[in-house]
Amino acid sequence: MSDTNISALQFDHKIGLFGDHEDKQDLLKISEIKNLSIFQVAKFRKSDVQSNQIKIDGLSLPQENPLISANENIRILWIGPETWLCILTNSNLKNLISSACNDNDFAITDLSHSRATVEIKGSHTLDVIKKGSPLNVNENVFKEGNCANTTYNGINILIDFISNNPKTIRLYALRSFGGSFYHSITDAALEFGYEGV
Amino acid sequence: MLEIKCPYCGKRSQNEFSYGGDGTIKRPALGEEISTKDWDDFVYFRDNPRGKHTELWQHVSGCRQWFKASRDTATHEIFSTCKMNEDFNE
Repeated sequence: MSDTNISALQFDHKIGLFGDHEDKQDLLKISEIKNLSIFQVAKFRKSDVQSNQIKIDGLSLPQENPLISANENIRILWIGPETWLCILTNSNLKNLISSACNDNDFAITDLSHSRATVEIKGSHTLDVIKKGSPLNVNENVFKEGNCANTTYNGINILIDFISNNPKTIRLYALRSFGGSFYHSITDAALEFGYEGV
Repeated sequence: MLEIKCPYCGKRSQNEFSYGGDGTIKRPALGEEISTKDWDDFVYFRDNPRGKHTELWQHVSGCRQWFKASRDTATHEIFSTCKMNEDFNE
């Protein structure tokens, strides 16, 4: 399901060096992440299941903002009360979700084709975010293992803070906003210089 | 810029929120006989108070939840927010 022929940013993402990159060692790296399987899992209001008892691939469902549960196969992001986004590296792992979340208690929706995903890596990663988003990304407020729904230049996005060293975040936007969002990010990154990879 | 405390996500920028109107309006009970004027008042007419006001807001760019906020319409100070099924803790 997730192996699309045309990725969301296929006609936007460019490989190479851009912006103020000369004589800089620690350039930002901006890439498009393709072929992720993304599922929204929402517990039905009338369900009596205790979601904190559910485990997907050994991971608990995070119970509050801005927490994430993650291993090498799957990242589970809290995106609202009793609502999660499960991001899989391999579409064959979908049964991990359906086996843990009974469809009498949970709605599972495949959003794999509806998101454009951009990854930014480097020491100026959070500076790029600060240029377009009102989210407080100062240290100790938003950190590794956190996620947040917010906006970037008015576009609704989901930020997944993957790693603090090197600073790595993934940004998910609606696919139809992908091109506009990608150009917002790369415009903001020109000041620091970046490598499209 | 206002900072609004979403009961689910914590303090976020006003940019992420959408105003949802007067939070004190009660829908007439189902099945109850209601005059045209009362229905008119429920659907169309709102007070426009200066000062403390209970409002509905939605964290539309965040967790997408509706919640109640107590706000001063003159100073824009937000006194507190709470979930829809809770009362203000003031």
